[in-house]
Amino acid sequence: MSAVLAASHAADVLPASSQNAHVLLASSQNVAGFGNQPLWIVLIKVLGVFVFLVVMTLFAIVFERKVVGRMQNRIGPNRVGPWGTLQSLADGMKLAFKEEVIPLLADKPVYFLAPILSAVPAFLAFSVIPFGPEVSIFGHRTPLQLTDLPVGVLVVFACSSLGVYGVVLSGWASGSTYPLLGSLRAAAQMISYEVAMGLSMVAVFLFSGTMSTSGIVAAQQHTWYVIPLFVSFAIYAISVVGETNRAPFDLAEAESELVGGFHTEYSSFKFAMFFLAEYINMVTVSALATTLFLGGWHAPWGVHAIWSGANSGWFPVIWFVVKIVAIIFVFVWLRGTLPRLRYDQFMHLGWKVLIPINLVWILAVTTIHVLRDRGWPAWKATAIPLALVLLLVVVPALMMLEGAAARRAADRDDEDEADARLTPTFPTPPMDLVVPSPKRLTTASVHPPTSAIAEGEDPDG
Amino acid sequence: MSHLLLAETAPIHAPSVAYSSLSPIFIVLGAALVGVLVEALVPRAERYAVQMVVTIGGLTAALVAVGLLHNTAETTVAGALAVDGAGLFIQGSVLVLSVMSVLLIAERSVDVGSAIVASAAVVVGSPTDRRLARTDRVQTEVFPLLLFAVAGMLIFPISNNLLLMFVALEVLSLPLYLMAGLSRRRRLLSQEAALKYFLLGAFASAFFLYGLALLYGYANSVDLPAILNASKASPKSDVLLYVGLALLLVGLLFKAGIAPFHSWTPDVYQGSPTPVTAFMSSCTKIAAFGAIMRVLYVGFNATAWNWRPIVWAVAIASMAVGGIFGLTQTDLKRVLAYSSIAHAGFILVGLVALDKDGIASVLFYVLTYGFSTMAAFGVLMLVRDADGEATHLAQWSGLARKSPFVAAVMTVLLLSMAGIPLTSGFIAKFYVFKAAFHVAAPLVVIALIFSAVAAFYYLRIVVLMFFAEPPENGPTIAIPGWSTAVALTFGMVVTVVLGIFPQPILDLAAKAATLVG
Amino acid sequence: MLAPYLPIVLLFGLAFAFAFFSVAIAPFTGPRRYNKAKLEFYECGIEPTPQPQGPNRFPIKYFLTAMLFIVFDIEIIFLYPYAVANKALGLFGLVEIVIFIVTVFVAYAYVWRRGGLDWD
Repeated sequence: MSAVLAASHAADVLPASSQNAHVLLASSQNVAGFGNQPLWIVLIKVLGVFVFLVVMTLFAIVFERKVVGRMQNRIGPNRVGPWGTLQSLADGMKLAFKEEVIPLLADKPVYFLAPILSAVPAFLAFSVIPFGPEVSIFGHRTPLQLTDLPVGVLVVFACSSLGVYGVVLSGWASGSTYPLLGSLRAAAQMISYEVAMGLSMVAVFLFSGTMSTSGIVAAQQHTWYVIPLFVSFAIYAISVVGETNRAPFDLAEAESELVGGFHTEYSSFKFAMFFLAEYINMVTVSALATTLFLGGWHAPWGVHAIWSGANSGWFPVIWFVVKIVAIIFVFVWLRGTLPRLRYDQFMHLGWKVLIPINLVWILAVTTIHVLRDRGWPAWKATAIPLALVLLLVVVPALMMLEGAAARRAADRDDEDEADARLTPTFPTPPMDLVVPSPKRLTTASVHPPTSAIAEGEDPDG
Repeated sequence: MSHLLLAETAPIHAPSVAYSSLSPIFIVLGAALVGVLVEALVPRAERYAVQMVVTIGGLTAALVAVGLLHNTAETTVAGALAVDGAGLFIQGSVLVLSVMSVLLIAERSVDVGSAIVASAAVVVGSPTDRRLARTDRVQTEVFPLLLFAVAGMLIFPISNNLLLMFVALEVLSLPLYLMAGLSRRRRLLSQEAALKYFLLGAFASAFFLYGLALLYGYANSVDLPAILNASKASPKSDVLLYVGLALLLVGLLFKAGIAPFHSWTPDVYQGSPTPVTAFMSSCTKIAAFGAIMRVLYVGFNATAWNWRPIVWAVAIASMAVGGIFGLTQTDLKRVLAYSSIAHAGFILVGLVALDKDGIASVLFYVLTYGFSTMAAFGVLMLVRDADGEATHLAQWSGLARKSPFVAAVMTVLLLSMAGIPLTSGFIAKFYVFKAAFHVAAPLVVIALIFSAVAAFYYLRIVVLMFFAEPPENGPTIAIPGWSTAVALTFGMVVTVVLGIFPQPILDLAAKAATLVG
Repeated sequence: MLAPYLPIVLLFGLAFAFAFFSVAIAPFTGPRRYNKAKLEFYECGIEPTPQPQGPNRFPIKYFLTAMLFIVFDIEIIFLYPYAVANKALGLFGLVEIVIFIVTVFVAYAYVWRRGGLDWD
């Protein structure tokens, strides 16, 4: 909008040649198709994204309960609506009519703000996710995506970072032990796994040469990035489970330890906001995984070969949603299968496993990519960096880790020794102290002399 | 608007980097990284020795590299770095003096362990702290930290790009903030010094950055030559230019410890471990003056008539503050701190000249002052009582009776700082004043007056050492280990030799007095 | 130039209005039955432990995690533009980015070895 205004304004001031340059430049700043959408289209899309997210949340909750139920040999909710499909809607409505309890010690303004801070970024993250190719809405050709930026993926990244504030502040403002612990854990966990998540995307940008989501999807027309970048995908998949606080990484709301975690003290609609945010986040990371690694809205292989129209019009939305639901199924599957990790194991995984693997992987991929760009034959460009990485990084690192553990133990021994050498600051009894037994017991015992000797003597002589 | 956009969308080109010209920086940074790895991988017992080898080896190698580069005059990394005579002279000075400060840090015989704390992060006064204070453990991270700071100091005076200069400023400052808090004795004072230095330094950095932003607004570039061209040609209002320069100077003057941005100096010099103080007062000052010189001479050559009064003002303020407040101090470290503020004022006098003589005299001055102050702080480490260094003036009275040698060394160094003939300080002052005289005669006269004022408090200490009665339970003179002995001897010899045969170094400075822009 | 951000602003407006409305309306739709015990904070029925107030509420260990996060987040910030511009930068870019990653690795090794990554 404003670019159009700026351009028309510039027409008054600037000579024709520079005006052309201006328009051209302005368009090269933006991703094609998103510079000048009419307002009514934007409004329709905004509403569409909002409704999609709310519906997906309601669906995902029922879906999860149903699937987990089946996995546990139950049937799950089946009362409200056909096959229980309206269960989550009913639950949501019910929450609105529940009493709202605000603990006395809560920090009221922050307590009030936290659920909003949690929910809003969750919605925003979806604004750059492409649902499909260019379609016609009421005769107007427009891409099936709310908006896109040259740094599109950063928007998702930024929103997921903002979401941490909601969680931290909710725990802080509750003025209560469990929420505080839960929010601390959640914050530490989210920022830890954000690093792994962010690093896992680097390889994708390297391949696509852009950070705009629509550009990344377009670049996957032939090969989905999950094939060449499987390591990145695996790391992304693991880290987003941590990022969204889902089982088996749901330490922040570990009900067996922390009751409800950061939202223990929340009730009524405020609680619903946290719930909503959690599920929207799940949908968002699934959509992002689809966009970055699984070809976005492109039809799976084979489908396109049989039916050439599969990648045009409104049909790609189907593939997109199917992929999201498949990923959500995996989320549910994980929850139904795996036990929760301990906190230190979890942090260990994030910092000591995912990050180094990620960095080495990025090094290897970058090298391969650059060498192939410079005209090396593919096998050579792939084999040499991999071999180098293996030789120069992985093997020494493994050896070093072994040695490091040993040295560390040695350091600890050193310190203990140093402790032992220093004169203690408090009186200690001598090692060979014989405690005199009380008189009454001595007279009562049958063989007092032998027992005294037995205590003083070493059994081995 | 449209050419701004053009700049953003222009295709990216890889800049050409003259790796060989920048090799001193790479060597120091590489040594610093090795130092960090040593911290990570070498067992604690051997760390100290290994770190010493890595640090001194790295600094010496970098010094050799600077020597090999001596004829270079080029800009590299897309004009962001200028390897030229003045820059290399500053780099060489920083490297020599940093080797000396490493030698001072390496002193382990006068105190348990060294002048550096065993573990900086432990709560002061806690049982662990007391236990560690008695061990000879040392926070050996001080060596990589010093190397990182030196790397920043090598980049700082050769940056022709203000953004890079800012990065270098941070690289040299952040390790210094930490190093200020590493004193083994008087932990609380040391931590206070670190915090003060950090907070005020962050402020100064913010000023620098803000000035940079304004200059970018003015010249549409952060390269100094581009700013110069813009100031020559532009019909635009100069407000942005001068406000930008003023804010930029605040950041730089802060680093150099020049009044009115000197308030951190006495506290930080006093609280920091003495070898680190020596490092700060010599190397940081040299690097900061290198940067100030480059900014004023390369970026603002054409607008000298407008900034000269400012430099006049801060030079006078600095000499006055250093001279007058120095008189009232009772702690020797603080006296030296105020002395450094006064000296910064004298160096600024040389900067006013704005010609080759000015550059050469400033280069010579910072070098000689660096050696004198380094050695003076080294002597300070040797005079000790039960609480560590005995820095109170009263404790120094009658020192000559206890150790005529130490008192004599200190006297020579103080005389050099006062600018008495036959010491390097005299030659340095003489050339600075000579260079400035033809453009700023009144300023030189004022500087001479303040030299006399400052000389008074140096001489007061000399009189105290030789003619006063020693106190009841006065300090003892520690026997220095080999490293301190080497550093002290070197500093002392340079101070005297440059006072008698200054010509080779003067020639070198005159030859080096070129700035590539 | 800022036009593509407009939809984000609109979505923000809608989401914020929704969230704010929901949170604000909750006290009016639900019942209110006063009970002193309900307003105590919840700790499974046992006598609640008093909370540390002020800045000490968060243990220092978490600040370390935050600082580590910043280090690696900055690394990511540098890697993204390189990844996008890697074709233009060619071999020079590769060398530089390898040096950069190795440098961060050194810091990482230091933190790991010094127990900065231990959470037990």
